[in-house]
Amino acid sequence: MSRRIRRIDELARDVPPARDLWPAISAAIEADKAAAATPVQKQAGRRAFWMPAAGLAASVALVAVGVLIGKYLGHQPPIVDGSVARNESQIAADSPIVRAQLRHAEYEKQRDALLLEVKAKLAAMPPADRAKVSASLDTLQKSIKDIEDALGRDPANALLQELFVNSCQEQMRALTAVRDSGREEI
Amino acid sequence: MKPDTVVDFDVALIERARRGDQKAFERLYREHVGRVNGLCLRMTRNPDLAADCVQDAFIKAWKALPKFEARASFSTWLHRIAVNTVLEKRRGSANNEVAVEDPTEYEEPTMVLDTPVEEEELEAAIESLPQGARDALVLCGVYGYEHSEAASMLGIAVGTCKAQLHRARGLLRERLERGVR
Repeated sequence: MSRRIRRIDELARDVPPARDLWPAISAAIEADKAAAATPVQKQAGRRAFWMPAAGLAASVALVAVGVLIGKYLGHQPPIVDGSVARNESQIAADSPIVRAQLRHAEYEKQRDALLLEVKAKLAAMPPADRAKVSASLDTLQKSIKDIEDALGRDPANALLQELFVNSCQEQMRALTAVRDSGREEI
Repeated sequence: MKPDTVVDFDVALIERARRGDQKAFERLYREHVGRVNGLCLRMTRNPDLAADCVQDAFIKAWKALPKFEARASFSTWLHRIAVNTVLEKRRGSANNEVAVEDPTEYEEPTMVLDTPVEEEELEAAIESLPQGARDALVLCGVYGYEHSEAASMLGIAVGTCKAQLHRARGLLRERLERGVR
């Protein structure tokens, strides 16, 4: 029931939003962090232009990256538990090389599981939020794709490999944030 | 006027957030989101648009945190960003109003009504006000900002802010008397 007041400054200043806005904000922040790393990636990519790209060497390097990601998965099961999923457009954007090299059974299993959860979460979001979160996830995916391209030109570049792993981890965190949105309060 | 009374508590969180601690920033978000949303909602009159502004304002705040001076009020700083965001959205939708003439009289921002009214009735009357008058009333009347602060946030002259508030008061009294909804 509405109370009676005489002064305008007696009106409630706090009006909580109808829904939790943090997941979309968090995803945008993650995307911003990933984007901040992009100039370094591109710089490394330009250096790579001078080096001969060899398919075999690329495969070896990406296997190494895959192993690094595998280590990450092994060391951080709570985050990994369903944290590597992507939305449909992101899945389509996966390069065949990376897909092949990252086909670790456990990784795939966990990724598929999280994909379902994130998809459901996105579907339940209001259209405006869904668009924003999807755009943020796409930005992350684009960063990863840029690094993949650079790795294709400079497969032995340790900096690129590290950036690739870091970007994947950023993506995992963003996806986990989307999946877990609304589950807990601080 | 200092609308924020939790500045000290915020300082540690702000410092952590400035160092990239997202959890600390989430705490700040949880603490301030109600007030920022209330401000955006009253300025936009549209819950979805207000939510959009709130999201954008917090994202901008995160990016601008390194520039925030710890001595300032975080709440006021955040409100300034939120008001800017609302104004930007308005510019995008070309929904602007012509400013009114400056008044010759000075008024205190606080407005006391002749008789008590239902909170909902007052909110509805504020919602029915023209944009410029509503902005001034919300910032000065509801959130307690001085004319100079509100004018600075809105990007208008102090005199214009006073004029808008004067106009808002007149319209508000008139509409409350008529029982406008």
